[in-house]
Amino acid sequence: MNIAYAYWRTGLALLALIVTACLPAVTSSYYLLGVLTTAFYLAVYAMSWDLLFGYAGEVNFGPTFLIGLSAYAAGLCNTFLGWPVWVCIPIGTAAAMLGGLALVGPALRLKGPYFGLVTLVAVLLLGHAITIFSGYTGGEIGLALRDILTLSSTGNFYYALGLMAITAVVLRIVVRSPLGLILEASGQDSVATEALGFSVIKFKVLAFMLSALFSGLAGAMTVFYFGTASPGTVVVVAVTVQIIIATIIGGRRSIIGSILGAVFLVVAGEFLRPLGELSTTAVSILALLVLVFAPNGFISVFGRRGAR
Amino acid sequence: MRSSKLNRPLLAAAALATGVYCVAGALPDARAADAIAVGVIAPKSHILGQAIFHAAELSVAQFNARGGVNGRKIELQEYNTNFSAADSARAFQRAVQSDGVVAMVGVFTSEVALSLMPWSSRLKTPLIITGAASSQIPERVHAQPERFKYVFHGYVNSAILARQGCIVAHDVFTNNPRLKKYDRAVIFSEDAAWTKPVDAAYQKCLPKAGMKVVDHIRFAPDTSDFTPIYSRIKNDHANVIMAAIAHVGVKPVVQWHQQQIPALFSGINGQAGSSKFWDATNGATEGVITGTPGLAGAPLTDKSAAFYAAYKKRFHVDEPAYDAYTTFDAMSALEDALGKAPNTSGDALVKALEQTDITGVLGRVAFHGLNDKDAHEVVFNEDPKKGQSFVGFQWQHGKQVIIWPPKLATGHVVVPSFVAAGH
Amino acid sequence: MELLLQILISGFIIGAIYALGAAGLTIIFGVSGILNLAHGAIVVLAALVAWYCALQLHMGIYWGGLAGVAAAVVTTYVLYALVVLPLSRSRQMAADELPVFLFVATLLFALILQGLLEWFFGSTPVATPALIDGVIHIGGNTVPLNSVLIGVVAWMVLGGLWLFISFTRLGKAMLAASMSPRGLAIIGYDIGRIHLLVWGLYGLLAGIAGVLLASFIGASSGVAINLTATAFTIVILGGLGNVLGSLAAAYILGFLGTLTAFLIAPSLREIPGLCLLIIILYLRPQGLFGRH
Repeated sequence: MNIAYAYWRTGLALLALIVTACLPAVTSSYYLLGVLTTAFYLAVYAMSWDLLFGYAGEVNFGPTFLIGLSAYAAGLCNTFLGWPVWVCIPIGTAAAMLGGLALVGPALRLKGPYFGLVTLVAVLLLGHAITIFSGYTGGEIGLALRDILTLSSTGNFYYALGLMAITAVVLRIVVRSPLGLILEASGQDSVATEALGFSVIKFKVLAFMLSALFSGLAGAMTVFYFGTASPGTVVVVAVTVQIIIATIIGGRRSIIGSILGAVFLVVAGEFLRPLGELSTTAVSILALLVLVFAPNGFISVFGRRGAR
Repeated sequence: MRSSKLNRPLLAAAALATGVYCVAGALPDARAADAIAVGVIAPKSHILGQAIFHAAELSVAQFNARGGVNGRKIELQEYNTNFSAADSARAFQRAVQSDGVVAMVGVFTSEVALSLMPWSSRLKTPLIITGAASSQIPERVHAQPERFKYVFHGYVNSAILARQGCIVAHDVFTNNPRLKKYDRAVIFSEDAAWTKPVDAAYQKCLPKAGMKVVDHIRFAPDTSDFTPIYSRIKNDHANVIMAAIAHVGVKPVVQWHQQQIPALFSGINGQAGSSKFWDATNGATEGVITGTPGLAGAPLTDKSAAFYAAYKKRFHVDEPAYDAYTTFDAMSALEDALGKAPNTSGDALVKALEQTDITGVLGRVAFHGLNDKDAHEVVFNEDPKKGQSFVGFQWQHGKQVIIWPPKLATGHVVVPSFVAAGH
Repeated sequence: MELLLQILISGFIIGAIYALGAAGLTIIFGVSGILNLAHGAIVVLAALVAWYCALQLHMGIYWGGLAGVAAAVVTTYVLYALVVLPLSRSRQMAADELPVFLFVATLLFALILQGLLEWFFGSTPVATPALIDGVIHIGGNTVPLNSVLIGVVAWMVLGGLWLFISFTRLGKAMLAASMSPRGLAIIGYDIGRIHLLVWGLYGLLAGIAGVLLASFIGASSGVAINLTATAFTIVILGGLGNVLGSLAAAYILGFLGTLTAFLIAPSLREIPGLCLLIIILYLRPQGLFGRH
């Protein structure tokens, strides 16, 4: 029964992936591919954030601290050192992982909103640093990169889809393994987890590293997709807000939930674009309705009602 | 539990896939047959964004009323930047790949302008930036002409605005027989990338205008309390503030007025050019001096007055803002190019735009070549017969009074009483 | 000496506004455990309504200010009735997860409010007229009377709040609710009514802060998130739910910022405060005056 179920699940996920991957063959709309590309990167941010928030129980207001570090490290590497894209992306990711490591210390010591404040401060300090070193970073105007991933819309679509699929698979494996259970346990009651003989530090470090790895990859790839790195795309609090909303309305502690939430947020925003300046408001109202009437997100609508 | 769990991923995956395909099928294609789609992009909620939309709408209405080009009319498509680079990039893709837009005009903030530049080359679609003044725009076109040749700048860059500020300072503050000398300047800039070339230009040109630069203050764009800065300015015994501000506007002006700082407020002041600035600051802007293209239909060319009248009549607003003038001229250049280009492909339009030489509402409209330092930027000249032109003005009793150039002046500079009393 | 005086005056006024802005937020957290992320949007709403009524509808600054405060109170109740209550009563989530959902819900409410404000008032910053014109000279410094008045009004409101909590029956009940809601219910208080009162009080405080802010530095829909972040910082630094702690934290941040701006560089204003924050939290993980 269990095994059959697991096969089912894997099969279905694979099917969804294949169906999505065939999209460029059936549509001539590069615009749709462009929209989904952004949505997929947002999905990676959301999944990485949910690993810390949903599973490890950390109130993290600073996903854009990790994303921004990676984006700017990769951007500066390309602009000033002139190194190729595929060298700069790992460098950016490494910067994000260092940033993630820096957050572990406070995370072990501080709880709930107090840790949330530290992450918020980290984002604000990063923003100030970008302004102060505007000679290098371009400040509020942003940094123009020499290179981009690819000119082709289809190519960009596959890069984003590929990253999203890899992230989903790796995170799925991690959270379903004993490791994920310990992580979740330490998020809910770290003292009891320690008492059971598990090293909370080790697991927290692991969670932060994984989250930083994927947000870093996505951050670096996002700037090479856009061709510019600017505070408005990878640092400001508004980006964090998008990530949080995508995760929550999709469904916490659910990989596919984060993906659904991100795709909904971006696609709904595009559909409602004719509303003009009220389109963001309309999306927020929809999201609030979901939250009030189905607090466990889209994923709960598909069967997991009242669970957990 | 188990059985309900079973169909969860199934339903979720199905929903995702159908959702995606629905989007693919339902994409709008609303273009009227045979019309040429032109896009205009700006922040909808901002007054300076609305000015861009208004000017583009007016230009297209007049163009279509004249019969369009070879019987084809222009259909204007509007896009909201929402002040977000990511949103704007998506809007640009939608415009070109879904709505069939052949060229994009507008953009108010430099961050968005810069982020759209790579997209204009990717989409091979001309982009004429009319609201942002960053000197990075022409610099980047100049540095990578092959890549950025689709980008044009329909507004002068901030370094030129700074030099223009110095010229006004020379004529109005240091060599004005009606005024005692105001010659101790403090450079007062928000700490942002766009103000760096401005500060450099001020450092160079203010001494030439007969001014001594007594201090140079850069402050965080989110500063709320300007008291420390103003007390430093008082200690410097400065009598002119040469500003470079755009993100902040209301706060420094209101506090300058409330704290009665004895120095003239001049220089580049992005928000003070708008006619709504009086209401926004509740009149604290009385006495503030700055410069802008256009302004109150100053008769720079024989077209200025007609544009001014038509704009006010159509939109029932007080005044067109600076970017209404620049957008109107950019649209005229684009309409001209559409008439001359053999087809509406990006490359043909770029070639035609490079040949632009028409009379707009701000002066002659022509673009620098790709080899010039200000590549693809509109040519600037104090003489409207030779290029885009500029006027200096002062807020007096709720009105923007032109004080420079002397030929167009509708009044003289008036020193606010608390400034005069301070010396 | 002149400089010192200037720093003192400037820091006093800024600190008072910070403290007033954060007071409502910390009370709400104390009583109902909700971090209201719509805070900045409600403050801005009050400011923009005050500006609109005072200048566009020609109601004068005092009636306009009143309208701004009223708008803040009404909006707060809308938030309470349409978002907070339904979520609190929802049975679809575990009780210990409620704060997370409330906090995302208030964030969404903030976005909706901000969008509507932008649509109605535009995104261009505005400043309301000074409540009172003129300047006074204190030891060689020119200080606008309006700023002094703002500082005084902020302190009077904070003092009134303290009197209310310390000496009235309702105020004491509110304080008790923040310590032990169950105990209060046992001795016969209707906890629902207390919440209603607290949210009203919150709206009042946020509204007054917004109106004062608008006449001191101006406001626009875009600063809502920053206002929330500043108030959040103060509330956490002072220790969640601790009103006096918030007051102290507001002054620490206010003076530190002013000192930096005067003595080092105006562009670095925020940075020492942020660094200090991290150090304090490292030494005292529950905030300066936190209880736990």
